[in-house]
Amino acid sequence: MSMALNQTSRRAQLSLRLGVFPAMAAGLALAMLYAISAGRFDVPWIRVVEILWTRAWDLSGSPETMDERIVELVRLPRVLLAAVSGAALAVGGAALQGVFRNPLVSPQILGISQGGAFGGALAILLGYHGVVLLGMSFVFGMFALVLVGFLSRINGRTEMLTVILAGMIVGAFFAALVSVLQFIADPNTSLPAIVYWLMGSFSTATWARLGLAVPGMAFGLAIVWLLRYRLNLLALDEAEARSLGVNPDRERWFIFVAATLMTGTSVAVAGVIGWIGLVVPHAARLIVGEDHRRLIPASALLGATYLVLIDTFARNLTAAEIPLGVLTALIGAPVFAVLLRQHFKRTGAA
Amino acid sequence: MRLPLLVSAVLVATPLAADPIRFTDHEGREVTLPAPAQRIASIPIPMASTLIAIDGATDRLVGMNPTAKSAIVEGILGRIFPEARDIPSDITAPNFIPNVEELARVNPDLVIQWAGRGPDYIDPITNAGLNLMTIMYGTEDRTREYMTMAATAMGRPERIEALIDWRAEVQTDMEARTADLADEDRPSVLYLLRAMDNLRASGTENNYNAWYHILAGGRNAAEDMVGGWADINVEQIATWNPDVIFLNSFEADLTLDRIMDDPILSLTSAAQSGRVYKMPLGGYRWDPPNQESPLTWMWTANLLHPDLFDYDLRAEMRSAYQVLYNYDLTDADIDEILWMGMQGGQANYAQFAAP
Repeated sequence: MSMALNQTSRRAQLSLRLGVFPAMAAGLALAMLYAISAGRFDVPWIRVVEILWTRAWDLSGSPETMDERIVELVRLPRVLLAAVSGAALAVGGAALQGVFRNPLVSPQILGISQGGAFGGALAILLGYHGVVLLGMSFVFGMFALVLVGFLSRINGRTEMLTVILAGMIVGAFFAALVSVLQFIADPNTSLPAIVYWLMGSFSTATWARLGLAVPGMAFGLAIVWLLRYRLNLLALDEAEARSLGVNPDRERWFIFVAATLMTGTSVAVAGVIGWIGLVVPHAARLIVGEDHRRLIPASALLGATYLVLIDTFARNLTAAEIPLGVLTALIGAPVFAVLLRQHFKRTGAA
Repeated sequence: MRLPLLVSAVLVATPLAADPIRFTDHEGREVTLPAPAQRIASIPIPMASTLIAIDGATDRLVGMNPTAKSAIVEGILGRIFPEARDIPSDITAPNFIPNVEELARVNPDLVIQWAGRGPDYIDPITNAGLNLMTIMYGTEDRTREYMTMAATAMGRPERIEALIDWRAEVQTDMEARTADLADEDRPSVLYLLRAMDNLRASGTENNYNAWYHILAGGRNAAEDMVGGWADINVEQIATWNPDVIFLNSFEADLTLDRIMDDPILSLTSAAQSGRVYKMPLGGYRWDPPNQESPLTWMWTANLLHPDLFDYDLRAEMRSAYQVLYNYDLTDADIDEILWMGMQGGQANYAQFAAP
């Protein structure tokens, strides 16, 4: 009896898997449409559709009225930025988890987020905004990764354990530097700006910011996508991977650089948004399984949908903007707890 | 409405009374000083310039917050009192945690600290055996209380009386003129405490800016917001569509362009009618409560209701600076404080121009 039930549920899962990508893509499209029609400023959804439709046919014009500008200059770039950031953070997490063969790894583990956070905070302290902030955040995220690479390379070889330890060290070091900046920051001016930025928000999204964010994120996504077969091999143990002709060392670093590109850029444009890289790949694994050829696109779609929805809550629940990092942690931690229990129940049963 | 010149103030600079000074501070602490404090260290930021104003001199200020010092040195007080550059500012980090060793080194007979922030801010000072007075930030009542406390500690009751009377007089006058104002005649006012990266608006609850906007005949555009402060987005501002926007004077790089170049904010009623202004930066920033607050109220009232108010702001500033800092403001000083160069062309702003 129970065996039969098990088989039917397996079959149900299989059929679910066949239609799962169109369903996820449709879910993302719906989430984005919803996000674009929702806002503190009242624009009827039919008017939103009209505005988007008109613009789609006439890309040369510029928005004149308040509702056109709200939809085209505020909501559209914000929703798109949230979508690519969500995809990038989720894929970054999924790729790192594959490389480390550990489902608890996230971009924070390599010290990338902390490095980026330090760069951004330093920019604010020095009075820079916009592009400079973005650049410094990215450069320091990259610098953190280079440090990790340098520290973890011993006698020409890099062990996974030393990478994780080096990542922790570098992360802790940059976290301390961020505290130093907060300590010396002016409580009247730069300190509140640093704190706000660190908590994460898309409230300053513009087309220009989107333009700055997309190349790095797209490049990172492309690298992981191209390496999706290799990720399956990297997820095997070291000796097995070598015997299959993989150079684990080199390909791992491709993944690390891709993850840094994606995380560093997202920290630069929206501050530190945690938990996406941890929660979303797990949810994706429950739906499509462990195979990275399916896991990577599923993580991208789910991550984009998740962050678009979270950001919609962040800007609409109250007159005040709720920091994204707070929401993703408040929702992410309990969801992750449930996912983990399910994961262990299933693997325990198998 | 003008702050009257205090001739007596100069005469009673050193009180002869030998009785100890006693008063209660904002944490209910009984403060006892054997004699008027001669060496005062101030940890809260706005208090440093207030102490200078109460005394009309910098002599008794022996330590202050580094942020207060940079504000003084960079602003007009730095020109009036060039010696303020040499006052130590390492008695505390900008975050108000006292540095006891440095405090002990400057040997103050009174330390002023924020109230209500817990023992970490207080205990190091009292454990070092220093006299402590705590102050609470926020409302007009508290401001008058802590200004009075400071004056009492300094043995300058005659000076503080005039400063408090001035505040009360201006407040009463403004209340009388706006008493019959209907709700729909009150322009909605948005004050942005931050505008460079994130947008932070003032709520109404215990918020000083909202308080004087209402006093001057406005209403808070963000009145439905919970709490004293909140980070908001441009869409929310579009929804409120304020009649007047005031930009803070804390962010040095902030100019009217922030509003006028923004695709959304430039469409608000305030931007369209030229009623966007940056808060002046005088002896202290005009946004939060301080010794110059009545000038802030008058500036605000003249802008919100040119029909109801016609304070001669330049004359008011001259007499106030004469009393507070014993300084004769030049026309150039006033233009600089009021940002005439940047916003002289804004709606109703010509009234502040030099005749």
